Amino acid sequence: MAFAQIAIIAHKAVPEDTLSQALLLDFYSGEIKSWSNKVPVVVFDLKPVGETRELFYKLLGKTSSRMKSIWLKKLLMGEGEPPAALESEEEVVKKVAATRGAIGYVGKVKVTGEVKIITVVAKKEK
Amino acid sequence: MLRFRSRVVAALLSCGLAPLGAQPAGLNLKVFGYFQASFGREKAIDRPVELKSFSLQQLNLFLQKDLTPNWRAFVNFEFVNSYSSFRNWGAQNLEEAWVSYRRSEQFNLKLGLQVPTFNNLNEIKNKTPLLPYVIRPLAYESSFNEIIALDEFAPTQAFAQAYGFLSARKLKFDYAVFVGNSPNINSDPEAGQTGVDTTKFFLAGGRFGIRTNTFKLGVSATLEHLDFYRGALRLGYEPSGFRKVPRLRFGGDFSLNAGKWLWESEFIRVIYDDDHPVLDLDKEFYYGTLEHEWTERFLVYAGYWVIRENNLPMEDLDLFALTTGAAYGINETISAKAQYGRVRFESSTLSGIEGRANYYYLAISVVF
Repeated sequence: MAFAQIAIIAHKAVPEDTLSQALLLDFYSGEIKSWSNKVPVVVFDLKPVGETRELFYKLLGKTSSRMKSIWLKKLLMGEGEPPAALESEEEVVKKVAATRGAIGYVGKVKVTGEVKIITVVAKKEK
Repeated sequence: MLRFRSRVVAALLSCGLAPLGAQPAGLNLKVFGYFQASFGREKAIDRPVELKSFSLQQLNLFLQKDLTPNWRAFVNFEFVNSYSSFRNWGAQNLEEAWVSYRRSEQFNLKLGLQVPTFNNLNEIKNKTPLLPYVIRPLAYESSFNEIIALDEFAPTQAFAQAYGFLSARKLKFDYAVFVGNSPNINSDPEAGQTGVDTTKFFLAGGRFGIRTNTFKLGVSATLEHLDFYRGALRLGYEPSGFRKVPRLRFGGDFSLNAGKWLWESEFIRVIYDDDHPVLDLDKEFYYGTLEHEWTERFLVYAGYWVIRENNLPMEDLDLFALTTGAAYGINETISAKAQYGRVRFESSTLSGIEGRANYYYLAISVVF
C-alpha cells in the first residue's frame, strides 16, 4: 500500500483520531474550517514536489493543479487563503506541533512524538 | 505638486496601515489582485474585415480584511478593456464591496454589493486566472458587452446572500439565495437619469445543487420585474402593458471531474412574461467545455457555445462558437493562454445578416 508510506499528522490537542478521505479533502480545500471542538483548522502543505506530496494528493483524489485551482478560487472569491507551503517535512512536523488546530502530511519515517497521527479512511488504491 | 501628492499619499498610507501593524497577523489588510493582457486577431471569413489589437482585458484589485474571526470585508475594483478615462476607453467598475459572516459551513451571509451565485460561472466569470479561456463563454465575456447584453443572461449584482452546504456521506447539498435590485427604469441618460432604480423592484434568486468529489450539478433561477414603457413608446406600442414585466431566468450547470479530465457545461434560459403578440425578448445560452490536464502546468480544452438572443420585432441574433485552446502555468502566479475560435452568427431580421469569423487570441494572466 503506497499510502502507508505517508502519515497525516495533527497537533496533539486535536480531538479527532480518524478522518474520512472526504473530510480530509474538505479541510484541505477550505470547505470545512474547524475541528469538532470548534478550533480553527490550520492546514500545512509541502512545497517541494516529491513522492510524499504526490501520494498525499492521490489520497485526496485530486491532482496538484486541481488543488491549486481550488485554492486560487477561494482566494479570489474572498473566501480563504491557500495553505502555507513549507520547505521540508521536518518543518511541517515542527509547525504542526507548535500550531493549535494544525494538520499536515509527511513521510511516515519523519513523524516524531511531538504530533499525533491521524488515521485516514481512504478510498481503495487502484 | 507631484512630490506633494506623493507625500500626501504616503502619509495617508502610513496612517492607514500603522494601526494594522499592531494587530494580530490574521487581521491585517490584504491587497492583491490579478490582470490579463491579451492580443487578438479577428478575421471575417466572407468579408474583407480584419481586426488586430492588444488589450488589458481585465484588471481587478482586491482589498480584504478579517474584521473578526467570523466577519470579513472584501472590496473588488475592476478595470476592463485597457481602461483609460483620458482616452475614453474601457470601463471601471466597483464590482464588489461586501462583508461576510461565517457561522459554519452550513450558513454564511454576505451583505453588500456582490456577484450572486448563479450556475457555475457567474461568480467567477471575471476572475480570469481561474479560467483557461482568453475569450470566455459568450454570455460571460465582458469584452463583448457592446454586442451581447450580458446582464440579460445572468444576474450581475445582489446585495444580500445566504449560502452554504449540508453534508450527507459523500454528498454535499449546496444552497444560495439572494436579493438585490432589478436593473431597470432609471438608466436612461436621455431622460437625465442614470444608475439603478433602488426604489421599486427587487431581484430574488438562488441556486440549489448537489456535488461529490467528482461531479457538480445545480439549478439556478432569478425573478425580477422591469419597466419597458419607454421602449414601448419608441416602438409605437401602448405603454401600459409594459410596466412591471416579469423576467425569469432559469439555469442549469453540470461539471464532471474524472482524473485529468474536466467537463463543464451550463444552460440559461431568459423569459419575459409580457404576453405581447409581437414583442419577443427571450434568450438562451448553452456552453460545454472539455478540459484535459496534459501535465501539472499545461492543459488543453475544446468547447462549443451557443447564444440565441431575441430583441424582436427589432432584431434577433444567433451566435455559435467552436473553440479550442491551451493554458500553461509559467509559475505559481503567471499563466500563458492561447485560444482559437470559429464563430458563426446569423440574424433573420434587419438585413438578414449572416457571417463567419475566425478568432485567434494570446494572453498572459498574472496574480499578484
